[in-house]
Amino acid sequence: MKIKKEDIHKIEDFLWEIPKTFHPKMRVPARVLASEPLLDAIMEDRSLVQLVNVASLPGIQGASLVMPDVHEGYGFPIGGVAATLYPDGAISPGGIGYDINCGVRLLTSDQKITDIKDKVEALSKELYAQIPSGMGKGGQIKLSSQEMDEVLLRGAEWAVENGYGIKDDLAFIESNGKLENADPLLVSEMAKKRGTDQLGTIGSGNHFVEVDYVEEIYEDDIAKAYGLYKGQVVVLIHTGSRGLGHQVATDYIRQIMSAMPDYNIEVPDRELACVPFNSKEGQNYYKAMCAAANYAWCNREVISWEARTAWANIFGPTVEPLKLMYDVAHNIAKVETHLADGKEVQMIVHRKGATRAFGPGFEELPENYKAVGQPVIIPGSMGTCSYVMAGAAKSHEITFGSCCHGAGRRLSRTAAKKQVNAPVLKEKLREKGIFVEAGSFKGIAEEAPIAYKDVNLVVDTVNDSGIAKKIAKLRPVAVVKG
Amino acid sequence: MTIEYLPHTADIRMKIGGSSVEELFQAGVIGMGNILKEGFCDKNKSSNIKSKIEIVALDQTCLLIDLLSEVLSTSYSEKSIFCKVLFTKFTRTKAVVEIYGTRVEGFNEEIKAVTYHEANVHKDNHGNWETLVIFDI
Repeated sequence: MKIKKEDIHKIEDFLWEIPKTFHPKMRVPARVLASEPLLDAIMEDRSLVQLVNVASLPGIQGASLVMPDVHEGYGFPIGGVAATLYPDGAISPGGIGYDINCGVRLLTSDQKITDIKDKVEALSKELYAQIPSGMGKGGQIKLSSQEMDEVLLRGAEWAVENGYGIKDDLAFIESNGKLENADPLLVSEMAKKRGTDQLGTIGSGNHFVEVDYVEEIYEDDIAKAYGLYKGQVVVLIHTGSRGLGHQVATDYIRQIMSAMPDYNIEVPDRELACVPFNSKEGQNYYKAMCAAANYAWCNREVISWEARTAWANIFGPTVEPLKLMYDVAHNIAKVETHLADGKEVQMIVHRKGATRAFGPGFEELPENYKAVGQPVIIPGSMGTCSYVMAGAAKSHEITFGSCCHGAGRRLSRTAAKKQVNAPVLKEKLREKGIFVEAGSFKGIAEEAPIAYKDVNLVVDTVNDSGIAKKIAKLRPVAVVKG
Repeated sequence: MTIEYLPHTADIRMKIGGSSVEELFQAGVIGMGNILKEGFCDKNKSSNIKSKIEIVALDQTCLLIDLLSEVLSTSYSEKSIFCKVLFTKFTRTKAVVEIYGTRVEGFNEEIKAVTYHEANVHKDNHGNWETLVIFDI
């Protein structure tokens, strides 16, 4: 399948469509949220072919969608949204990804960068010491079998009740850090074994803990509601459900692939394997996915506890602890109500590399945020900048309440390693006032800014399209990576 | 046996080849071990851990991907890298194998999963077996 520019029609500013007539297997159109230069960049890999394939999923509603940070994945594109009709539309583990509930959270401090500048290097080293990162490094917590089941059932709540978190955090986590449908019995022993010592660890790849400061505020009132102000130091955490989530996805993609003939489902790519949501196999996966999502929320809560420990070790035990602004998933499936052909319809919304971006008024949002919309946290590439946005009402009209999740990769890891001299980059970042603590130079080279799209272009596109508003720009001063 | 790593925007695309299906599967295991720790299987010829794996799959391609997934899970759960495969039973859809490897302190790369995307075990024009394998990183 080859997609040419003339196959793509502009249907409104920043929204492009490949019509349903493009391919006989498409059940709905395929839509791209992008500026024209970003669309041209997106066409350089196989993202749009994968988007067209997603449009063939049984029960898909409205359109298959990709955000401006999209890049080629394996089956589903990364940066995609697919909403299927509840209760018998498809659920596809590939539409969530192997890192179930990979997500980001932002912790705010009461310190200004001007006051702590001389302690940033020590803070970066202390964060690296407190938060296990990289491959094969276990965390401080070793879960018993019973504790594992409690983590899978209760998510971030478990961390709070066991002294690894703060109760006030729970209201500021998507779904309060716990999906009710989780069933630990549907998570394999291998998955549990892989998760036994990984709570409180960030892993490797593009996962990180970063210290930033608020460089710019775009909307004073909303920034105030989020507790953000210019010059404020904040901590950004990006990771997911670690080996446990990877194993759950691996287990269920295999099972669901075998079950597809029973439901007369054929897909153009095996990684799109799916079954009806309300089938036995669909429910088993969904409940296991909810359990893995809970593990991820617990993981980010424990990492926050480690970050708070590092913070207290540097600034003293009497300093105000880091406060959770928000925690949001970008690899997950949720049952939500959105508009389809002007009517409110319950759907299974798959977000793979896409962030929920609910506008003002949603019941689930914390009281302080109900009037202004949900915080959407967009991490940029290492050494550039990140953003806090606010979900807007238009996201319900065109993206099933979703938004982008980052800058979006543009270079392969191999190409990045060829082009980047990691020790030189580390030194250059240091000269710019950014301290990098990483397990290897390889990790620094692979995640170099050159490997990513310009996050400013991605965020401006999202802002101008109306699905989310720019609220604050964050500038990094320390990065901890695996 | 051939193992090549090809470009992919975010993940790792590996092309493997072998004069027999068994050799192709062996190439997959070595190629994956060399990702977990660069060049590990090229350097380590001895082993201090073995494990038995039984797989029943939908077809030959799934058999390879499912076997690599099992080897990967065992690598993480046993903190080991496996480089050698001995086939006890081997058909198009079933494999009983023993894998041999070495315990390691850590890994250089985190492979999240072995995916089915683009995988297609087939014979090339010269009668050799080949396939692509995409690893989620």
